[in-house]
Amino acid sequence: MAQVKIYTTPTCVYCKMSKDFFHKNNIDFEEINVVEDEKAREDMIQKSHQMGVPVIDIDGEIFVGFNRPALEKALKIGA
Amino acid sequence: MRTLAFKNPMYDLVIIGGGPAGAAAAVYAARKKITTALITETFGGQSIVSLDIQNWIGTPSISGIALAEQFENHVRAQEDIHVETGEWVSDVKKTDNGFTVKTKGDKIFETKAVLLVTGSHHRKLNIPGEKEFDGKGVAYCATCDAPLFKDKDVAVVGAGNAGLEAIVDLLPYAKSVTLIQRSDTIKGDPVTFEKLKNNEKVTVIMNAETTAILGDEFMTGAKYKDKESGEEKKLKLGGLFVEIGAVPSSDLVKDLVQLNDRGEIVVDHKTQASSLPGIWAAGDVSDVIYKQNNISAGDAIKAVLNINDYLRSRQ
Repeated sequence: MAQVKIYTTPTCVYCKMSKDFFHKNNIDFEEINVVEDEKAREDMIQKSHQMGVPVIDIDGEIFVGFNRPALEKALKIGA
Repeated sequence: MRTLAFKNPMYDLVIIGGGPAGAAAAVYAARKKITTALITETFGGQSIVSLDIQNWIGTPSISGIALAEQFENHVRAQEDIHVETGEWVSDVKKTDNGFTVKTKGDKIFETKAVLLVTGSHHRKLNIPGEKEFDGKGVAYCATCDAPLFKDKDVAVVGAGNAGLEAIVDLLPYAKSVTLIQRSDTIKGDPVTFEKLKNNEKVTVIMNAETTAILGDEFMTGAKYKDKESGEEKKLKLGGLFVEIGAVPSSDLVKDLVQLNDRGEIVVDHKTQASSLPGIWAAGDVSDVIYKQNNISAGDAIKAVLNINDYLRSRQ
């Protein structure tokens, strides 16, 4: 099983879409709210070299935004 | 969910877009038994980022994302409509019998009619540094990204309602918010502006043209020109939100149909037909004066009823 982490803010729509996508496909994930967790916010910016959410980390591969086809490929969904 | 097996049949109608117009059109097309495909990246349209929509008729209060779910559920409840999500249309070409619609994922849809309900997207400043620092300080959705600018000095460019709402979204997080407005008037709601103006975190700069975004790995500031004195000034900033209006997403058909000087598709407002037979448009991509969810849905329905007449007359 891939290790999936998602960095989010509570008001971010694409974060919710990404989480819905994980739920639908039975993917376990760890959610990190970067509003509350300042250190995680710095980690996220460092990893993704940008400040937008969501940032999704799948086994160390970084995805910015909700890019369904890219996530499907990384998680081998529908392959 | 029921969808047609994807074998590249000839469609009667391809709907491009999944906002209120796209969803309304799909429901009406399915009920008219028009063989339809709807192609959209996501459902919901521009309101998807809205925390609370209070004017969608029949619903006193709903979030943008919940409304998007309702749109998608309503479309997927229809029989025999092909729904293609997570896809972008890259090309629309005129053929002898109608049109070929191609997606970025290289899927091809042959169709007799096209309804363009692609909406609009954020207008950009088109200044040096804007593209380079997109996501690295330059942002276009305060509702989404405001919390990431905690304790930073940020600016909002544009003083329409979207700009003022961006300030409201940023105030709980940002250290300071500078409003940069090109003209000498505030176009947004005066009541909101009066409240914001008196907030000690807010600075307002009028008659100022933003000319460049500065930074190294991330943005560190912006330059603007004082239009009265002609003087160029610098601001130290950790973020800048661009809220200067919308551009219609009409690029796909710009060589096929007549656009007005704003880039909107010119339509016959009785039928929503464009200047090219076989292409219709509704919602924010069309030259409708009032850009509203309810109007977009209604205009798209008008288009589908007219498309139905058109398809029958060609049988």
